[in-house]
Amino acid sequence: MARLIEELKKLPGIGSKSAQRLAFHILRSSDDDAEALAGAVRDVKAKLRLCSVCNNITDVDPCVYCSSATRNQRLVCVVEEPTNIAAIEKTKHFNGVYHVLHGSISPLNGVGPEQLRISSLVRRVENGNIDEVILATNPTVEGEATATYLSGQLRRTGLKITRIAMGIPVGSDIEYTDEITMLKAMEGRREL
Amino acid sequence: MALKESEAIVLRTYPLREADLLVTLFTRAEGKVRGVARSAKKSKRRFGGALEPLTYVRAHYEDRERQELARLDSFEVLESPLAAEMSYPRAVALGHVAELLDELLPDREVNDAVFRLALSVLPALRDTDVWMPITYFELWMTRLMGYLPELSECIMCGGGLNGSRAYFHVLVDGLMCKDDKRLASSEMSASSRSMAAQMFRSPIESFAGQAWTKANGADLRKFLTQTLQRHIEKKLVTAGMLEKISS
Ligand SMILES: [Zn+2]
Ligand SMILES: [Zn+2]
Repeated sequence: MARLIEELKKLPGIGSKSAQRLAFHILRSSDDDAEALAGAVRDVKAKLRLCSVCNNITDVDPCVYCSSATRNQRLVCVVEEPTNIAAIEKTKHFNGVYHVLHGSISPLNGVGPEQLRISSLVRRVENGNIDEVILATNPTVEGEATATYLSGQLRRTGLKITRIAMGIPVGSDIEYTDEITMLKAMEGRREL
Repeated sequence: MALKESEAIVLRTYPLREADLLVTLFTRAEGKVRGVARSAKKSKRRFGGALEPLTYVRAHYEDRERQELARLDSFEVLESPLAAEMSYPRAVALGHVAELLDELLPDREVNDAVFRLALSVLPALRDTDVWMPITYFELWMTRLMGYLPELSECIMCGGGLNGSRAYFHVLVDGLMCKDDKRLASSEMSASSRSMAAQMFRSPIESFAGQAWTKANGADLRKFLTQTLQRHIEKKLVTAGMLEKISS
């Protein structure tokens, strides 16, 4: 039991109390449920890998997006982390494919462009099968630095490079918007 | 305890527990303050873009009884680095300023001279030409922290260096004449030494519009970085990254 609690405490956001609660939950659960959890943990390390095309986490290579016949393979959305894909998929309105950088440029943490998966993106673009690259990194100093750097590296004739819009969240109020968000919203305005 | 208000520059943030951020701030009123922004990671509503490194803010925070970390209440953005294009050299330069402030300033010690220096350098870092503002900032920061040796005389023999060649070494706390220089010393050019003297006489604005490349003042910056790293007894992460920038 102590061993299980120790292991659970290593998970992000799990303190001693939560770890204890989870451990007791597992103790009380059926043999099947406990086995399923253990199996899932084992499989995630044994079976999951990075997609050789887009670096998404996947159990088949290429991943479901890269091997899909119905998705637009000429439209690539660049994200920082695999978890960002879920947020974009939730819109159900994006039919292109992805490229995962696994991080963003972060000088204070010693992370420069060479630590990110950029060269494979440059190769995808150089192969000439891409019409548009959407830069969907975070609207932070790090995400902006990454997007600006990428647009410089990817620029070639015939390739469209776009940046997702930054601005006021839907359903919020202009009155409570901070000045930098407002500035970005004004910069990103579009014609109606 | 009472809510405090101060102008401040955000230095850096670290994730803390599930949704909170640990923030290091350089406040005008109290110097470097570390505090917790609750739920800042999940809900950006309260802080918006105000927690990005090198954002100049009006900070509202309060100290908590028997706790080292302040509770950050709300920040109002006065000037955001995101207002201008974030090129890669600029991101590294801003990171360098943040790292130097964070590493060199002690906790809770007012330093208005350094605060004014930082405020004067931030507008100059709106451009992609980072080498002049970086040199100016490193030079003044080294001097204001009390780490800068006399640049006009040899630290070994005391002889004047104006009009003659000067050298520095990673383990030596000052410049040396050609007779006293050690093996594997680097030379600091006369032009960089006179640039340093000029930077002590003039505000940063008077250097605006000069076309600088990475080569300008490179020897001076190397000397300053070595001096600072000797004092903090560690390598500056962003100094290595600046080194790798090609332009
Ligand atoms: Zn894929
Ligand atoms: Zn000498």
